[in-house]
Amino acid sequence: MEELLKINRRNFLKTGGMAAAAVALNLNAFDAIAAGDLVKLTILHTNDVHSRIEPFPMDGSKYQGLGGTARRSALVNAIRAKEENVLLFDAGDIFQGTPYFNKYGGELEIKLMSEMKYDAATMGNHDFDNGLEGFYKQLPHASFPVLCSNYDFSNTLLNKSTQPYKIFKKQGIKIGVFGIGIKLKGLVADRNYAETQFLDPVETANKMASLLKNDLQCDLVICLSHLGYRYDSNRDSDQVLARNTRNIDLIIGGHTHTFMDQPEDIQNLDGKITTINQVGFAGINLGRLDYYFERYKGKRIQTAAPYTISDHLDG
Amino acid sequence: MGFEIIMQYIQPLRKYLALAAIPFFLISCGSHYKLVKSNRAEYKMNNERAVDSTLIKTYLPYKIKMEQEMNTVIGHSDVLMSKNDKVPENLLRNFFSDALLHEALKYDPAIDFAMPSTNGGIRVDIPKGEVKMSNIFEVMPFENEMVIFTLSPSDVQNLLNFIARTGGQPVAGLRMKIVNDQPTDVMINGKPLDPARNYKVLTSDYVAEGGDNVQSFKKPIEKKIVGVRMRDALVTYIKENEAAGKTINPKLDGRITKD
Repeated sequence: MEELLKINRRNFLKTGGMAAAAVALNLNAFDAIAAGDLVKLTILHTNDVHSRIEPFPMDGSKYQGLGGTARRSALVNAIRAKEENVLLFDAGDIFQGTPYFNKYGGELEIKLMSEMKYDAATMGNHDFDNGLEGFYKQLPHASFPVLCSNYDFSNTLLNKSTQPYKIFKKQGIKIGVFGIGIKLKGLVADRNYAETQFLDPVETANKMASLLKNDLQCDLVICLSHLGYRYDSNRDSDQVLARNTRNIDLIIGGHTHTFMDQPEDIQNLDGKITTINQVGFAGINLGRLDYYFERYKGKRIQTAAPYTISDHLDG
Repeated sequence: MGFEIIMQYIQPLRKYLALAAIPFFLISCGSHYKLVKSNRAEYKMNNERAVDSTLIKTYLPYKIKMEQEMNTVIGHSDVLMSKNDKVPENLLRNFFSDALLHEALKYDPAIDFAMPSTNGGIRVDIPKGEVKMSNIFEVMPFENEMVIFTLSPSDVQNLLNFIARTGGQPVAGLRMKIVNDQPTDVMINGKPLDPARNYKVLTSDYVAEGGDNVQSFKKPIEKKIVGVRMRDALVTYIKENEAAGKTINPKLDGRITKD
């Protein structure tokens, strides 16, 4: 693998023809530069947990014995004990899927997420299953914000109950997070979303991401999306979103219950990387992305700095 | 030097290396951090993981109460309703379809007939005697909901053909004789099939989306989501009967017969 890396790097450098990049591209250089100058941020995430409080029952089904909030909580606690800067997000469809939801209307799901100290979540289509009222009723149990930027709830019960984005600060790093939801018409019963106005996902995401990165100077912009990973048709998806926007570093996706071998890196409108990740459903997996930031001192000219990606954690 | 050209060369490397920017550029004084590296991982939540007992303490009271509710008797049935997919008509299907049509008519009285599920969607028997909440969760474990589609004459015919070809499905408000795998003597809502008119059909979102290879609901003239899950509708129906002092007593009425 090391050989392959070297060969390909040489090819790339020949094309690029920039000596400066050669130094910057040395993959092993970072640890050397690091020495206290790197700030590490750990993003943990789930999607489409669908009221799966306990693991799937041992009934011979495909996912038997997997998932469970008690395991997730223990793991998240262990990671938090080890890492300084941890954020935990959910990309929607918290509700529906086990009798817990039918019986308690999502109260337990939200309570447990609060207990696990989720930092934010967005709404999936199933979070409308008991109508706007059903969701509103559970909000007092949430100690985390619900982020929705393309659902305009102004004329509904949920007015001011959600927020379009939130900025988190970790050791000086500013992380801007916003939520994007799927088109509700045809997917959710009309009366369950009532006067909610659906705004175009790509257009809204672009505005949000620009606001967060350019105006509010966030170092990392994350979109919690319930659009779905990809479709055969050209309907809005995380792939469509990634290709047609600027300023989004990471899309934490949901809806399509996609198990990805690894996150997908897509070239966005600026030619930069927008990463998409989704971790199946039902809390079968917990996703993790560690981001490392180099600290600068004041104004400086910077050569083309690459951003390396690996599907392994450090040490 | 376009991005595409470079991407072409680093394609095999994409997993490891992403290009943040090509040319030299000036970092504005506002941003004091630059993203330099990203590592990713995924954790499988299997039984090798430790559990957080504090969290279990939170959900245990809910679990106990829920299990009690699952054992609650919601109604009584005079007969055992067996899942037997090899006959054109059975008690389980008739109960299931009649109950859902009854409930859906509360939301739309103009429904002509129902095929609320396929045989495969009705999972287990409903016992004779006490009917518990858990029985209904087992017979309908899915979160499907009722939808009402207005179908064109050709789609209605397509649906009738499907029912006949598969030897009978759960229906209500519909009668037919299957001859040589074809629907004949079709009666809808007590009247002979009018091959020229549209019909309003109750089904589930699962069937409507082509579940079990039903292709009849792909181009509806109109579609309406009722906003009620099928399981909830079944529970309502059973509870209402119980409250009215009635038992569940489905009959075979020859709605579908096969030569």
